[in-house]
Amino acid sequence: MKEIKLFVGPQHPGMHGNASIHMYVDGDIINRAYLLPGMLHRGFEKSMERRTWMNNIALIPRICVPEPDTNEMVYAMNIETLAKIQVPERADWIRMLILELARLSAHLMAFGGIGGPTGLYSAMYWAQADRDLILTLFEEITGQRIYHMYIVAGGVRKDLPKGIEKKIIEFLDDLESRLPDYEDLVLNNPTILARIKDNILLPKEVVWELGVTGIGMRSATGQEYDIRKVNPYAKYDKVEFEVPTATYSDALTRMTLKYREMYQTIRIIRQVLDMMPSGDVRAKVDDGSALRWKVPKGQVYSAVEASRGEYGYYTVSTGETKPYRVAVRGASFPQGLLGLEKYLPGHRIDDAPLWFDTMGICSPEIDR
Amino acid sequence: MNSMNNNVNDLVNDIKSKFKVLNVEHPKENQVSFDFKKEDIHSALSHIRSKGWVQLSMLTCIDWLEDNEFQLVYLVFNWEQGIRIQIRTRIDRDNPTFGTAVNVYPGVKFYERDVHEFFGVVFDGNPDSNKQLFLENWDDMPPLRKDFDSVAYSDKKYPVRKYKADFSSKAGDKK
Repeated sequence: MKEIKLFVGPQHPGMHGNASIHMYVDGDIINRAYLLPGMLHRGFEKSMERRTWMNNIALIPRICVPEPDTNEMVYAMNIETLAKIQVPERADWIRMLILELARLSAHLMAFGGIGGPTGLYSAMYWAQADRDLILTLFEEITGQRIYHMYIVAGGVRKDLPKGIEKKIIEFLDDLESRLPDYEDLVLNNPTILARIKDNILLPKEVVWELGVTGIGMRSATGQEYDIRKVNPYAKYDKVEFEVPTATYSDALTRMTLKYREMYQTIRIIRQVLDMMPSGDVRAKVDDGSALRWKVPKGQVYSAVEASRGEYGYYTVSTGETKPYRVAVRGASFPQGLLGLEKYLPGHRIDDAPLWFDTMGICSPEIDR
Repeated sequence: MNSMNNNVNDLVNDIKSKFKVLNVEHPKENQVSFDFKKEDIHSALSHIRSKGWVQLSMLTCIDWLEDNEFQLVYLVFNWEQGIRIQIRTRIDRDNPTFGTAVNVYPGVKFYERDVHEFFGVVFDGNPDSNKQLFLENWDDMPPLRKDFDSVAYSDKKYPVRKYKADFSSKAGDKK
């Protein structure tokens, strides 16, 4: 049969974000595939060099829409390391609360997102509705639903509102009681299993070759390779949680790990609310107005465990009021570009969106 | 905690005994940076990878305009010990070519293309080094260089349009 050139996305219900896959297909088997990134290119890295350290806080959450808080966290961690700031203890706990709520919302979105490419729209509706409840909590804590701009260098912007703990616990109880329904709907559903079981494999050698992190890596290697465990930041060394792993990585395994991680995230949030001390929530980085901060000279990299894997910023400061360079390490860069080019061929066209969903790909962090 | 620090010290001693290291820094706990001469980078990368730093997190580049140099930074991570290394070198800005590292870290392929597109560094041996990736039909100097002025470029490329009617003050005006 003749080879046909086909573009999937960016305007396609199965695509995750503003990217396109340029593929050559024979029948419905993909022969060659390339990602065409650059459709959301806002020049984040260049723009950051033109803005002051504080101004950037409004820009960086946009690098990943479903989970913006990791951006704020790594950016703040780098400034604190360079300026040798000790973050108040309460701020560290609040940061963990925010990061875990964000992880929960991102996992829900990705878990329900499997409904898009498989036609199981109930999963998507449920997950979006539950995610919306988290966004309401975020709105109460930070004032914003999507981009919170809450974690700033030196701590967090303001203290938690009164009575929010009760609302969070109520939400967690509610969600936890309904999570088994998600399992029945997605993981025990024969229509979905037919699509994701033994499909889109990620062998261990490929993980090391590409440099995939996060659930992809843990599902293939069977090791607890999670930055929260290996190199703990904030107070992750003080809470108890497990890192689900597996040794056979197909799309189903990765979905299952995502599902199991949601329980662990809920467990962490409960401990955070229990153990959080009272006190100050923000330390000063430099004297004077936040718009005239100067950050001492240095080059440092910080990374956190996002829902998709290792997410980090490399920050270079020359001691001025603006960063000299900020480089973003998006968690989906390896599997989105090299992984797709090398390992998508051989799959069917309708598996491409499944690849995107279960590998955890967020295109703005590829574009930067 | 002490065992962690011992690991870092062992690493620093090991690298210093094998290569000529220009500078060592400890930017934060469990992170260490080495500045190498550019000839040593590939052997250093192979050596460090064989010691357990199998994860390449990123390759990035910094434009030091005043020194007329580019600095390449390889960030690698050891999942067993939790130690991150910055492997850095400086290359000439006027003739920015460097050897590829795809043989050591295959995942570096697209980071090299990224650095090529945004800084103009040519990586010899990278098969797709010259293909465009992010910037469609780009017609100016690589945009992350420090002497590229994004505002001037945008003013030149998209000049301010003259409109026949002035709508700017109409919105919200009382009649």
